[in-house]
Amino acid sequence: MDSRNFTYMFYGFATAWVVVIAYVVTLVARERKLIEEMKRLRHMIDSGESRT
Amino acid sequence: MREKLIYALAAVAALLLTRNLYQMFIGLPDEVLQGAIYRIIFFHVPAAFTFMTGALVSMLASILYLARKDFSADSVAAAVTEVALVFGFVNLLTGMIWARIIWGVWWAWDARLTFMLISCLMYAGYLMLRRSIEEPTQRARMSAVLSILTFPAVVITYKAIDWWRNQHPGPVLTFRTGGGTMDPGMEQVLWLNFLGILLFATVLMMVRMRQEEIRREIDGLRREAHAI
Amino acid sequence: MKFLRQSATIAWKDLRSEIRSKETLNASMSFAIVILLLFSFAFQSDSEVIEQISGGLLWLVFAFAGALVVNRSFSRDLQNDCLDALLASPVSGSAIFLGKAVANFAILLVIEFASLLIFGVFYNVDWTRQLGALMMTILLATWGMSVVGTMFSAMTVNLRLRELMLPMLVYPILIPCLLAAIELSAKLVAGTPLAGDMYLWVRVLVGFNIIYTALSLALVDTVLVG
Repeated sequence: MDSRNFTYMFYGFATAWVVVIAYVVTLVARERKLIEEMKRLRHMIDSGESRT
Repeated sequence: MREKLIYALAAVAALLLTRNLYQMFIGLPDEVLQGAIYRIIFFHVPAAFTFMTGALVSMLASILYLARKDFSADSVAAAVTEVALVFGFVNLLTGMIWARIIWGVWWAWDARLTFMLISCLMYAGYLMLRRSIEEPTQRARMSAVLSILTFPAVVITYKAIDWWRNQHPGPVLTFRTGGGTMDPGMEQVLWLNFLGILLFATVLMMVRMRQEEIRREIDGLRREAHAI
Repeated sequence: MKFLRQSATIAWKDLRSEIRSKETLNASMSFAIVILLLFSFAFQSDSEVIEQISGGLLWLVFAFAGALVVNRSFSRDLQNDCLDALLASPVSGSAIFLGKAVANFAILLVIEFASLLIFGVFYNVDWTRQLGALMMTILLATWGMSVVGTMFSAMTVNLRLRELMLPMLVYPILIPCLLAAIELSAKLVAGTPLAGDMYLWVRVLVGFNIIYTALSLALVDTVLVG
């Protein structure tokens, strides 16, 4: 069998997973940022309320 | 509870996808005409179906939002569109790699390819529209309308291989041709892989939806912080 | 009946203000001429080549000019809160939309016919050989462009990045319509009569118009009023 055929099949599978994994990474990064932002805001509100 | 469901679904999807990989390489022989490269179909077609399912769910959730003004429907639409778009790109890229070997070119301006690209661009436009509107109700309303207006392009993409016959292979799956066009063993792996990818996409969507909820909570907290 | 009369009033209002100010007409007309000129430098004016690319050339010009026209359609009424007044009047959102779509349709047709005349002169092409079929194509595709364009004009009117978002959203959605118009016009300008495969493209145009006119009329009230 043509070896290029096999190589490109591998490329195809790899691309599919690389795209999905790249998305998962951005998803996780965004989640971390959002949770941090939420904590920061909560903290700000708590300290603000204790002052007043 | 939802956390657990996400992990459970992810585990099932991972198991299923691994089992399918084994089946693809060990259980099934090379295809007579195309050789090894045909195995791309096991990701190419399920990715397309996942994209289309996502587009359909996005449209239904958008209609639901417009009817009920329920923000959770808006979260579903936002999450499902983004995940669907990822699989749309997986579909396009795997297709291009297959085309490089079989057609000798990366891209052809065939009706199927063109409309798939257009659909992806339109959903990318949807995500951009979401980003450019600050006010939550206006954002939800406009993006719901856009999602509904975009769906016909997905229908055209789906039917393109029936209406125009050029580069892209015609229908081969049994539910469209009535059978005899694809080896049953291969078709079974294809459907099982669709199930695996769909489960995985559902997991991603649920994660993305939770983010949308966190974001709404942040908006609420911001307002509260402003009040103080 | 009342609905149509209201739409006609809105359309007439838009057209009259356009005839008085001519701001959209002037801008998009000169824009169309500039593009036609630029393209004539880009291609050799070998008449056979021109006939082949005529469809794409014409519809690119129409689509660019069209984006300018529809962009102004709702933002024209932003001044002095006219749009809010319009929405508060006892006219439904869909009547306003239909009126504006008709006005844009008329303005676009004027630009298109002027561009066609200029195209014929600059590129030395006799485009009148299949006049009836070409007119039908232009009417159908222009209606599709006006409806979708007006709809997105309504959606993006309050956006910060209106000028940017509108073409970015409108062009992809218009592609089925533009593609059909390009395929048909190229053949019709070259003098091929309407037959065979070309009917598929006519069907695409008709289907596109029906789907998007219905969807827009159904959804425009949510967009404008909420």
